[in-house]
Amino acid sequence: MKKLFTFAWVFVFATGIAWAQNEKYTQAMGDGIKALNSIDREKPDPKSLVDIANRFERISAAEPKEWLPKYYAAYANVLLGFVAPTLTDKDQYLDKANVLLKDAEGIAGKPNDELEVLKAYQSQIHLAADPMNRWQADGEKFAGFLQSAKSINAENPRIYYLEGSSLFFTPEEYGGGKKVAKPMLEKAKQKFSAFKPETAIHPDWGKMETEWMLSQTN
Amino acid sequence: MKLFYCLLLFVTPAAFAQKNIQGKVTDHKGNALPGANVFLKGTYDGGTTDANGAFAFQTSESDTATLAASYVGFEVFEMKINLKESMPAMSIKLEELVNELNTVVITAGAFEASDEKRMAMLKPLDIVTTAGAAADITGAMQFLPGAQRVGEQEGLFVRGGSGQETKIVIDGMIVQNPFFSSLPDVQSRGRFNPFMFKGTSFSTGGYSAQYGQALSSVLLLNTTDKISNNGLGISLNLANAGLNYDYANKNQSVSAVVYYGNLRPLFKLVKQNVEWIHAPKFKGSSLTYRWKPTKNGVLKVYGMYSDSHLSMNSNNPASDTGKMRLVLKNNNAFTTSTYTDSWADGRWTINSGISYSRNKDKMTYDGVNFDRFDERTQVRVVLTRLLTGNNTILFGAEAHAINLGNGVDGQLYKLKDRYTAAFIESEIYITRALAGRIGVRSEYSSVISRGNLAPRLSFAYKTGRYSQFSLAAGQFYQNPDYRFLYLNKSLKYERADHLILNYQIIKNQRTFRVETFYKNYAQLVREFTGQQYDADPYRFPWGATTNGGEGYARGVDFFWRDQKSVKNLDYWVTYSFVDSKRLFQQFEQSATPTFISNHNISLITKKWFEKAKTNLSATYAFTSGRPYYNPNNEEFLKDRTPAVHNVSIQASKLQSIKGNLVIFYATVDNILNTRNVFTYRYTPDGKTRYAVGPQSYRSFFVGMQIMLSKKAKVEKDDF
Repeated sequence: MKKLFTFAWVFVFATGIAWAQNEKYTQAMGDGIKALNSIDREKPDPKSLVDIANRFERISAAEPKEWLPKYYAAYANVLLGFVAPTLTDKDQYLDKANVLLKDAEGIAGKPNDELEVLKAYQSQIHLAADPMNRWQADGEKFAGFLQSAKSINAENPRIYYLEGSSLFFTPEEYGGGKKVAKPMLEKAKQKFSAFKPETAIHPDWGKMETEWMLSQTN
Repeated sequence: MKLFYCLLLFVTPAAFAQKNIQGKVTDHKGNALPGANVFLKGTYDGGTTDANGAFAFQTSESDTATLAASYVGFEVFEMKINLKESMPAMSIKLEELVNELNTVVITAGAFEASDEKRMAMLKPLDIVTTAGAAADITGAMQFLPGAQRVGEQEGLFVRGGSGQETKIVIDGMIVQNPFFSSLPDVQSRGRFNPFMFKGTSFSTGGYSAQYGQALSSVLLLNTTDKISNNGLGISLNLANAGLNYDYANKNQSVSAVVYYGNLRPLFKLVKQNVEWIHAPKFKGSSLTYRWKPTKNGVLKVYGMYSDSHLSMNSNNPASDTGKMRLVLKNNNAFTTSTYTDSWADGRWTINSGISYSRNKDKMTYDGVNFDRFDERTQVRVVLTRLLTGNNTILFGAEAHAINLGNGVDGQLYKLKDRYTAAFIESEIYITRALAGRIGVRSEYSSVISRGNLAPRLSFAYKTGRYSQFSLAAGQFYQNPDYRFLYLNKSLKYERADHLILNYQIIKNQRTFRVETFYKNYAQLVREFTGQQYDADPYRFPWGATTNGGEGYARGVDFFWRDQKSVKNLDYWVTYSFVDSKRLFQQFEQSATPTFISNHNISLITKKWFEKAKTNLSATYAFTSGRPYYNPNNEEFLKDRTPAVHNVSIQASKLQSIKGNLVIFYATVDNILNTRNVFTYRYTPDGKTRYAVGPQSYRSFFVGMQIMLSKKAKVEKDDF
């Protein structure tokens, strides 16, 4: 009887720790996402982005079974690949994002639409760093990743947001432009309104950007 | 048991006691690393370093923990620490990871255009956007350091070498007929479209043991693995009309090209110095199939066929009329199939290929038949093993079956060569700053029944973050020109020994490179006719031959490129100096050959106009005078032609028409209409001198490329 009691106690105690740990994880992730969302979209500060990327990397080192910390660390590095001053710096962050994405894929274990979307985003930013020399190879990668994201989950609104933004920023001479982008962005908006992230810490970005771009197409 | 609960109660509050951890992160030289991630492994506790590399964070962990620090491009640092109430400041030194900036690369003699390598000096796009290159790969290579321009012949003339001393290699396979059939005093274009290739490496000497049969240089072209534009394309210009179609799915892709060309309209508009009877007409097609059967494996099959027909009156000082009527019909086919794969986490790589080419020229000179025929079948396998510390060792072999035929008025002369080669080469990194490449190549040629053994060696030493020295040396063998072998099969290989020293600095989108070389030529073929020197470049050698020739070439090249100083402006300058003398062919004494120009300068500029979506490019090329044979001068090859100047411009504009991308381009070559002379010839009596110049002086060319791309538009089906 006494043994059983002790056992129960230890059990309760252990699950308590696990529960506390889980809450700590959600809390830390939530804080990181909040910091990420509070970044000034028009003039993102590289220093705070590095800080946020580091934060997610620390969580990922402590939670080797979760793919989300790696995902957000990669996302922050992609944003850094956009704001960094020189091509060499940009490429360093983008290479790092690639490594994190590979790790995340390994942890997730099965095809994941959000990871495919982020890979597409990474190629888009990589292209933007040196468009003259990279549009061929990266343009193809971008389309390929979005295609595989679609085949996993065609309801993911970020697929259509990225397709729309790519058209939005492509010069009219290359078949892009704001007008051409509009229907795709509208489709993204529609998908966003139906979209619910799996949990509060699952990816949920792109809606704000879609709306901003749509406002520019009128 | 109670003790356990007590302990629990006791431990928990203690854990809340916060400890401060602080310090500084630097590289091994002590430079601060801002933005580094410092944390306790397995916890969420950590911080980011500030502009001075300093960090500070708090933790509630107790006893021991692992302190970790990571930074982009550096190895992860880990250290066990004891957590105490008051922690001393920590100093963390990070070691840089191996990357393109901190590791030396072997560069002596090589000039690369690549999208994949960040240290490459050119991008593939540079080749098509260079004015004066006529979107021809070898045309663009002529402006690179080490190359000499020889206007009346095709081929790459590198550092005192003749056009025959450069081999063009596609995916490891030698291209038997890289140029359209040669015509008297007209430079022929290359057969290959520059858009086929993802990377180009132009070696001006000291090249790898993987390649052979080239005394001077190899031009390595690597075809693309994937296609980028799904759909139909149309190309239309003053010389030809073509269609191309690309289709790709996940693991396979097909590209097909057909074209028809006729130069008559162009020749009506641009005054020709050549008297054409029938302007060149040509048609051709190619098909490429690519398949990715495994994760890293790529199979490529490429086949092309073309034929052409033309007729011209060429200058012939030896004939009564001074003219000779030439009719040429050419059929050319080239197929190559390559397979590359890697396994065991990339530790093993295989590159293999098989290729067949066939070329037939039906020619008549004033009604007399001169037919040329050649075919080459080749197989090649190279295995590369990646060892620890980035060191590699590779070994491979190749075998060629070459059949040649020359017909003179119905009489056919045939030659057969079975050529085999094996090679082994290793790249060794002694440190990140010092690397070496040692290789050896052995060849056997059945037509001369001889073998050879050629050592190759290069070293590179990094002198700073952006600069390095390289040194290359080696022996290079080539079969004597097949024209000599028809009559004498006991000739030996011709040989060249190279020694090259190179310094380069690449920093902030600016490149400076200087390279100096010494080249020794040995066992060159000499011909003894017992008659006066015959300057006709198209004569068939009939005299007695030996390997008694020799020679040298020495010089220095400079290259400067700046893509940074002015926004959207990119320019580069090259200067090549060469001094060379040879005793070879019919020479009775050592002299500078006619294809040598001592000084070659080129200035290439490109400017992109964002608003007009237009790229403007201008090129100035200077080639100093070349020796020519004057029968009236007692001193052999002492006369010099005047220098050649050429200014050319090119514009290309991008435009969207109904959602399709259209590229318009226009070029003007020799805009100043300079009356350039490449060489002079004399009538047999030595009294009259003929000038040999370009096919036309000032000339222009316009065209367009339409891409009917499916991807450029949002279609209904997308919704």
